[in-house]
Amino acid sequence: MRIDSETCIACELCLPYCPMGAISMDDVAVIDQEECVDCGVCLRSGVCPSDCFIEEAAPWPRSLRATFSNPLTVHKETRIAGRGTEEMKTNEVTGRFKRGWAGLGVEFGRPGIGTRFRDVDKVAQALAKAGVEFEPMNPVTRLMVDQSTGKINDEVLNEKVLSAIIECRFPLEKAPAVLGALKEAAKEIDTVFSVDFINRVEPDDSVPAERILTEIGIPPSINGKNNVGLGRPLAEGGD
Amino acid sequence: MTHTLHRKGTVENLSDDYVLLCIPAKGINEEGSPAKLQEFLRIAWGHNPVNIGSIVLGNMYSAEPETIMANAREVAHAVFVDPQTVAEVLKELKEAELGMSVVVSGLFKAVSECCHKAGLKRHTVNYSLGIWGKTEKLPSEEVLEVTTMCGHGMVSSSLVNFLAEEVKKGRKSAEDAAKEMAKQCVCGIFNPTRAAKLLTAMAAK
Repeated sequence: MRIDSETCIACELCLPYCPMGAISMDDVAVIDQEECVDCGVCLRSGVCPSDCFIEEAAPWPRSLRATFSNPLTVHKETRIAGRGTEEMKTNEVTGRFKRGWAGLGVEFGRPGIGTRFRDVDKVAQALAKAGVEFEPMNPVTRLMVDQSTGKINDEVLNEKVLSAIIECRFPLEKAPAVLGALKEAAKEIDTVFSVDFINRVEPDDSVPAERILTEIGIPPSINGKNNVGLGRPLAEGGD
Repeated sequence: MTHTLHRKGTVENLSDDYVLLCIPAKGINEEGSPAKLQEFLRIAWGHNPVNIGSIVLGNMYSAEPETIMANAREVAHAVFVDPQTVAEVLKELKEAELGMSVVVSGLFKAVSECCHKAGLKRHTVNYSLGIWGKTEKLPSEEVLEVTTMCGHGMVSSSLVNFLAEEVKKGRKSAEDAAKEMAKQCVCGIFNPTRAAKLLTAMAAK
């Protein structure tokens, strides 16, 4: 995203809208291109009285910024707008997460800080060593040059995005080891990530992961997402 | 795409925050799904949601609700402020047999009770395990309670602070400020009713 310096009237109205704080004032408003993630919030907000935001398609690898940061952009591989997959949202139909398995989402840069792919790379490699299975349809997985190591394409490491999600799964009993590896890797990065943990609900409405997470000192949140099982057809074992 | 997860808050101030999402599974039951998503939105609309939306089309503060309901594709959202209404919507969705997946985000205990009342059983859950890494970079907890209502990060912390100041100075009502923030959240999962309460509390300090 850039600002047309010829038409900007320096009203400063756009400044608070940028999620990355990348807009500042010189004689007119300017965008720090290193920090801008091409999310499009400034343009869509309609706050500019002189329509001076200009959105242009960026070449590779900068093109990743809009793909990961602008929720209106659809990833070619997943056909999903946003940063991840359907994960547990359609689990009763896809059977992606079976009983006895856990799903993990590591959402880099969220909330509102942004991330470079070099931090995603560090954590992806740590998770690979812990023995997770990366979600093949996830856009970050598609950036890996080797899924067995989690190594991400060197060309993209300096690109900044609003957020990017690693999605993976593993047998539930591996949760202490995987989350331990994640905790160590978190010390090595220059941003934040939000952690998602997915598990099947038992017929009595209990969730096996709750006990494990509490035992290892990572209590699950009081609120979160509940797939209520209305999708059809049911996957095998989708009861 | 876990945009309805990680909404920060307390049991008290999350008790009026429930997001319903309806989505087909790609390659499995997506044929004919737009009409079913539109029906989901019409059912939700009948129960006075505080927001509805569908990505690309926007939300009810940036687009006409009728346009959203008539054209939704891919995924649809509706936001409610009390569990009793959520239970009623779920009951109606069950009877409608749309065959689309429905996800309810909110306090786990309350959502479980809603499912029970509607004759449904939870299938899979997604917990938030919090924010890890350089957490010193984060804004204050009260700002996060507002910004995390847009999981794609379209509502900036600086906008929350700016609008809280506008409310404090009497230049804008908390309700109008909340609607301005809701416009930025393209999916329509931002809860402006809760945001107005949070902004009012911020402005009172």
